[in-house]
This record gives sequence, structure tokens and C-alpha cells, in this order.
Amino acid sequence: MKKILFISLLAFGSLFAQVQEDIEVPYISYEIKMGKGFDTVQANCLMCHSFGYIINQGPQSREFWLKKTEKMITHFKSPMMEEDIDTVVEYLFEHYGNGKEK
Amino acid sequence: MAGGIQWDSGAMGCAKWKGVRLSDLLNKAGLKKDAHWIGFNGKDKAAYYETPNFVRELELEELDDHVIVAYEMNGEDLPYLNGFPLRLVIPGYYSDSWVKMLSNITVTNKYKSLFFMDVAYRVPDNATESETPENKAKKTKPITNMNVKSIIGYPENGMKLYHNAHLVIRGVAFDDGHGIRQVMISTDEGKTWNEALLKQEDGRYAFTEFRFTYKPTKYGKLNIMAKAINRLGNEQPLSKDILWNHGGYKYNGIDVVEVEVV
Repeated sequence: MKKILFISLLAFGSLFAQVQEDIEVPYISYEIKMGKGFDTVQANCLMCHSFGYIINQGPQSREFWLKKTEKMITHFKSPMMEEDIDTVVEYLFEHYGNGKEK
Repeated sequence: MAGGIQWDSGAMGCAKWKGVRLSDLLNKAGLKKDAHWIGFNGKDKAAYYETPNFVRELELEELDDHVIVAYEMNGEDLPYLNGFPLRLVIPGYYSDSWVKMLSNITVTNKYKSLFFMDVAYRVPDNATESETPENKAKKTKPITNMNVKSIIGYPENGMKLYHNAHLVIRGVAFDDGHGIRQVMISTDEGKTWNEALLKQEDGRYAFTEFRFTYKPTKYGKLNIMAKAINRLGNEQPLSKDILWNHGGYKYNGIDVVEVEVV
């Protein structure tokens, strides 16, 4: 019996591994530029990721931002509505664009 | 500029990992004869329920006895953000494969189609692993082994240093586990290179520390360059000679720090 108990302790011990102390997940707030279309960006992008993922891409072309937005829909399954795509891309290019179409 | 997070010299680290050999786990579980692929999934779920999980799939033959499922980092439980309680550690591989909060290991004989394997984190599958923005490589492969690289930690960009004063240039170098043979330092735009002193105490996968003493004898701007060479003889290219890929992956250009001698 003791043996069985010992084995089951070994087997289940790891399943109940717990964090002993409080976990504090660092929060970093990213300053994002305000402008036309911001509400749409906030609603669609912030539901999954911080603005850091936008700001840290570096200035990019309109095509880049369109492709990124499409990637969010195709691969990450963003439930963004079709009519919001233009607004989001326009905002991203306006504020985080490099002035180039392609 | 490649798209994606602009990491600069960020997102690198060196820690002491302790864990269970993956091969021991697999032996205990017992693999079937036709086992070929091994998939790793973690507990880090996306915010939206339809977003696919980050699953890393590798061929069994890629994995050697150095691959572990780690439960300790630097002698303690893994910190939460480093993948508590269990994390896959593949020495020599870039860490996009080091699945955190490991929850499932699945062995199959058939390859499953996965976004993070088939689309993301891939490099061109050609001799130079390069492409151009206009003509992207059609054939790609997952990112695996780390390129030889070094980073200057001190001095930092933009620092003012005293003329004729004693300076110790310091930094770290690493590769995919072949080991660092030399780190060379140049203070004349790469015309001449001098060997730095190395400190290698933690095995061939760990950071090699380097130091080089130097006395700046000219006033004004000074560029300090560091170039690592591994035991295969692979060395870092100048950043201007780095060939492009769409993710900026595996970048290993020679590090340059610009300081001012006053």
C-alpha cells in the first residue's frame, strides 16, 4: 500500500505543481497615436494583442499593413468585419506608414 | 526594413536549465516503429478562442540527448514568463522552438499542417537562406540552428570615453553549440582585427564572454567592432553584407558600437 501511495504521489505530484508566490504579469502601456479610425483599431486589434505589436513593426508600406491585417484574419482568425479592413489599414498607414504604397 | 518586432539586440539570454531528457520520456512512453514527427504544445492560449495554438513540430531525428524538458532555470522553478512549470529546451536552436508551459507532446507518423510550422517562422530554403522583397523564396524551411554571433555589451552606443584611458571592451558570443573559437575586435573600421580574451566555463551552448583591453589614442568618433568565429570556421559577416530575408531571421551581422573619445 505504501508503495502504491508513493508511486501515485510521484505520478500526480507534478500535475498539481503550483506557483507558491503571487504572479505579477508585467503590464506595459504603449502610447498609440490618436486619429481617424482609432476606435476601429482599438476594437479589432486590442482584443487580442497590445499596441506594442503595431508600434514595434517599424514604419511600413500600405501593402505591408494590408497584408498584416489579412494575416490576422486568415491565420489568426480575427472576427474583424470586411468593412473595417480599409479603416484599419488607412489608420495604420497614416500613423505608422513609411509613405510608400508597396 | 524587414517587418515584425524590431528586436535589436533584445530577446537573447543564457541560463542554466535542468530537466528531464526528452529521449528518456519517449523511451518510457515507448515509440512505435513508424514514429516520425513530434509536436509540442503549451498552455499559452491566445486571447481569442479561434486563434490557432502555437504548436511546434519537429522530426524525431532532429532531437538528440541534449534536448530536455526543463523544470528548473538557474536552480529555481522556472519563472512564469519563462514558461513555468515545464519548458522545452533545444540547445543550439533559436528559441521560437523552445515551447513554454509545455502541456502536450504528440508523436505521429504523419505531418500535420500547422500555421506556425507551415507559414510563420520560416527562412528561405536555399544555400544562402536569402531572398529579396520583390522576389521572395518559394521554398522555405523552419528556423533551426543559431548562427555564430557576438554582441558588445560595453561600451554602449553613444558613450563618451576618455582619451588615453584604459578601456575594457566586453561582450558575449554564441553559436549553435559547435563552440566559439575566437572573438576578434577591430577599432579601425575592420582593417585590422585583434583577438579578445575568452571565458568559457559553462559548456559550448552557453555564452562565451570576451574582453579586450584598449586605449583610445585618437579624439573623436570611434567605431568598435566585434566578430565571432566558431569551431567550424564560420564567422560573422559585416552588417552591410547580410543577405535579406522577410523576417530578418538569423541576423548575425558584426556588432558595431560608436563612441566618442573626449
